[in-house]
Amino acid sequence: MECEKIEELLSAYIEGDISPVLAREVSQHLDRCPVCAALKEKMEELITGLSDLQEDVPFFLRNRLYVIAESRGQEKEEPNAYMKWMVAVLGTFVIFLNLFYFTNIYPSANRALHSVVATVKTIAVETGAFFEKVNESKDLILSGFFEKDSKTVQSDKDSKNLKKNGGKNG
Amino acid sequence: MMIDGFSKKIYNIALNFASNRDDAADLTQDIFLKVYNNIDKFNDDGHFEPWLVRLAKNQCIDYWRRNKANRARVEFDENVQARAIHESQVTPEESSIQAHDAEFLREKLSILPPELRLLLIMRDIQGYSYEDISGHFHIPLGTTKSRINRARARLAKLVLNEGN
Repeated sequence: MECEKIEELLSAYIEGDISPVLAREVSQHLDRCPVCAALKEKMEELITGLSDLQEDVPFFLRNRLYVIAESRGQEKEEPNAYMKWMVAVLGTFVIFLNLFYFTNIYPSANRALHSVVATVKTIAVETGAFFEKVNESKDLILSGFFEKDSKTVQSDKDSKNLKKNGGKNG
Repeated sequence: MMIDGFSKKIYNIALNFASNRDDAADLTQDIFLKVYNNIDKFNDDGHFEPWLVRLAKNQCIDYWRRNKANRARVEFDENVQARAIHESQVTPEESSIQAHDAEFLREKLSILPPELRLLLIMRDIQGYSYEDISGHFHIPLGTTKSRINRARARLAKLVLNEGN
């Protein structure tokens, strides 16, 4: 293989992202070509060297960024990150609740959960009954109102009729 | 928090792209300003990081274009310096020591074309996977790999040439 072709394969060779056949060919070439061997060595050295170039954000810059965020009033959580966390926490919580409710790993937790569920059921039944009562009362009030309303309309009609008849007779 | 989560990544892109701390700070600030100004346009199915990285990339390229005149001067200085080092006959061993020096590496990085430089920063400095880089920059995976290889080879040659 020519040096140019070898150069194209060097990253893949270094990172082991190459077929064994090609790797053998590259290796054989590197054994007899000092130029490509030096290039490969330098590339390996650079890959390691570059990974050390990360630095922390200087304090003054971090402050500046916070000032910008505050002035824009937009220092928000990364979109969806908040939601993802909520779902993860909620999911874990539900799994643990089920575990404690349906098994007896922690009897005290199991008892507590069952009593909570019983209380919730009672509250739900009572709430249901309350809303039923509210509905009944609402129906009563509404029917009373419509009855009254229809009576008013009827009496209006009667008085008009009386006036009409009185006018004709007079 | 966006600043806590991403400022280091963005600062390191800027620092290794601009190769000096003052410009890197200004560039980081510009990138975050751009983020705040365009946050309403963020519409990438909730994938915030690729959007942010693309925005940072565009801002870096803009910075590079704005500083073309300065860059020409830096490159000229670079050549003068390279000749001076060449004339003073730096040994390959000394070159190897230099290769571990951050400022030396940043200087060499700054000579690479901006697109190659950014790809190298993403892969070898920030440690992103080829797949992530390909996705973030909308470049096919094979092209991403071959460009990063090309960037590494060019950087290696720059360092090697300096030592010979």
